[in-house]
Amino acid sequence: MKDRFFGTALGRAALFVCAFAAQAALAQALQPQPPAAPAAAPGVPVSAAAEGIYAGARSSLLQIRTLVEAANRQSSIGSGFLIGADGLAITNYHVVSQYALEPKTYRLEYVRPDGTKGALKLLAIDIANDLSVVQLDGTDLPHLEFDPTAVAGELPRGERVYAMGNPLDLGFTIVEGNYNGLVERSYNERVHFTGAINPGMSGGPAVTGAGKVVGINVAKRLDGELVSFLVPARKAAALLARARKDSPLTLAQAREEIDRQLLAWQDGFYHALDEKGFRATKFGPYQAPESAADWFNCWARTNAEQTPKPRAQMDSSSCSSQSSLFIAEDIESGRSELTHAYVRSVDLNAFQFAAFLSQYYGAASMSRSWSRKRLTQPQCHEDFVAPADAATAPTLRAVWCARAYRDFAGVYDITLTTVTQDRDKEALVSRLALQGVSYDNALALAKRFMGEIAWTK
Amino acid sequence: MDEVKRADGKRADAIWLEILGRHRDVVSRTRLASDAVTLGRAYDNDIVLDDPHVAAHHLRIARGDDGAWVAEDLGSVNGLVVEGERARRERIVLGDATTVLAGHTGLRLRHAGEAVPAELPLVRSAPRWPLAIVCIVLLFALEWLGLWLGETGEPKLIRYLTPLATIAIAIAVWTTLWSVVSRVFSGHARFGLHLLIVAAGLLAFSLYDQFSDLGAFALSWTRLSNTVYVAAWLAFAAVCFAHLRAIANTKLPLKAAAVIALAALGITMQSLKLSDWRANSGQAATLQKLEPPSIRIVSAQAESAFFATNDALKAALDKARSEEPAGDGDSGSDD
Repeated sequence: MKDRFFGTALGRAALFVCAFAAQAALAQALQPQPPAAPAAAPGVPVSAAAEGIYAGARSSLLQIRTLVEAANRQSSIGSGFLIGADGLAITNYHVVSQYALEPKTYRLEYVRPDGTKGALKLLAIDIANDLSVVQLDGTDLPHLEFDPTAVAGELPRGERVYAMGNPLDLGFTIVEGNYNGLVERSYNERVHFTGAINPGMSGGPAVTGAGKVVGINVAKRLDGELVSFLVPARKAAALLARARKDSPLTLAQAREEIDRQLLAWQDGFYHALDEKGFRATKFGPYQAPESAADWFNCWARTNAEQTPKPRAQMDSSSCSSQSSLFIAEDIESGRSELTHAYVRSVDLNAFQFAAFLSQYYGAASMSRSWSRKRLTQPQCHEDFVAPADAATAPTLRAVWCARAYRDFAGVYDITLTTVTQDRDKEALVSRLALQGVSYDNALALAKRFMGEIAWTK
Repeated sequence: MDEVKRADGKRADAIWLEILGRHRDVVSRTRLASDAVTLGRAYDNDIVLDDPHVAAHHLRIARGDDGAWVAEDLGSVNGLVVEGERARRERIVLGDATTVLAGHTGLRLRHAGEAVPAELPLVRSAPRWPLAIVCIVLLFALEWLGLWLGETGEPKLIRYLTPLATIAIAIAVWTTLWSVVSRVFSGHARFGLHLLIVAAGLLAFSLYDQFSDLGAFALSWTRLSNTVYVAAWLAFAAVCFAHLRAIANTKLPLKAAAVIALAALGITMQSLKLSDWRANSGQAATLQKLEPPSIRIVSAQAESAFFATNDALKAALDKARSEEPAGDGDSGSDD
């Protein structure tokens, strides 16, 4: 899953945007759109019902801005809504992430539809569900309420739902759409909302016809039309209860809290991955593990139809998890990818074939974008590795690369790449890439991954 | 000096006056027939010196009563100076090793009894260029082989010709430059020798280059192929030293020190540049080139040993997390 932010002329309008990295070409085509051509709201006429709902909810809506302290200018914008008369409000974690991570550089400000402004206090965050609770000063404030049906379980698919927020800093809007249940094949629970959510609406409420909150605007797919996502209301209700009960988060603790949640989340995710297990998939004379978890999306690729005709044929299968966790603009966790490529020579000799394989091996040392500020330099270890049972599996050339997150203790990016070493003109290149993982989880998964590369029986 | 008459009738105490040019090469030699000669630019002198910094009547060289030869200034502007000294002198006693400077011209006396080096036998050394050609052919064959073994796409002749042509042109230019330098300083161009030096140097480096890739894989020793630039600088220094030695077989320690300093500077700069690039790009140093499995020499590690080493990297990463400079932006804001 590729997640991207839209940039606006004003800075960054927060919306957790997803586009499947299904095929590299597709993902590249989906660059953030320029602000000059925002996806114009489709010509769906807003019904009279929507007019009433908007009128009822308007006074509870907030625009939430992150300002650069020194310049006093906004660097990102999002939305939010009041949920209690005591000034508690809900928004996305990614709307306040800059402030949470760098409280000395940024500050938070809200703007209400009537133009009143003020400072916001950060009370609680839930990075797994991309939520945060903030508070503004005041008593007896207008506020929205959660929909009890949505909190208890699920709304019926097809129910009309209205999303509100301030897209692209153009003013508060209401968008009509449909509730389409929980997204299938996703590790994180997300509601599939069919409606136009745009950057800047992140953190805004999605309400029923009765004006009750069923979800929080969070993301949209770049490669589809009107395919948007909401965080289920019960996640927000749970965080709100926690925020009311616990003492508020101090800014000094925010980073520690994010670190703690990140570690807990990756622990849950990677253990679930391990528990779901792997299924052996056949690649020529080899078999290799693919995750049995249904939140992986697999795509096959071949170079067979390339021109000029390739001198070694490569058929690969790449499975990547559709779940990732936003930490900061340049840090994500939970992306994991299992790739296997079965390569065989058409008319290359042994040396040429090895040179052909090198291009997949050499790129193994951390191919993803690297930010010196966020990550340490990678440390790699490579060697030939003998299988536990030489009768069933080939010897491998393996390279393990790891880099640590500077801001968060105990979190790493890991890649393991292996190349089978039993034949001259045929090989299986396998790669396991884990992002935002604890070292022990990575070691355990990698051992299992490597142990399941074998010859077909 | 003993007055010895030799069989051929020549006097053993004959004195020769050598006139040295600006670069201390002997311009002319004159046998002194009398006990006193005058020197200067004017034509009424015994010996005429063609040097604009010499006076019309510059000096007189005469044998004193004690038998020692003495140079006397005849009132010139630039005077007389003993070579190696700064102060001018009116009167200089000419010892065996004394060179007197008048203007830019040097003057030196040689006695008949002075020893001369033994005759050098003529060395008919075999021409060097055939061996140089053999080296170049081997070099081209090796480079061609390297290109062919790394070929994974459509084979195109131009991809093979361009690097080889580049090498050929570089060899030609390099050899010509050294030949010119050689001609200027030693009088001989020695094109064949210089060609052999550069060809042998390139061949040695090319061999190392190819085998370091094989060795890095076979021995699972990545460093071997990642430090090829060190070998390149060493080969460069060795080639330069051989060229300098071919020009003149003198001052070898000085020349060796110069090329070693050059190599050290090159290696240091390239290492720094490489580590800087690594720090900024986040690329790890891993094996760049795989070879066929049959090339492997070392035995494969057990899985448990492989993962034990992986596990050990964690400590280094955690250390780097707090110690490694993060570059620009806010740093060290860890809790």
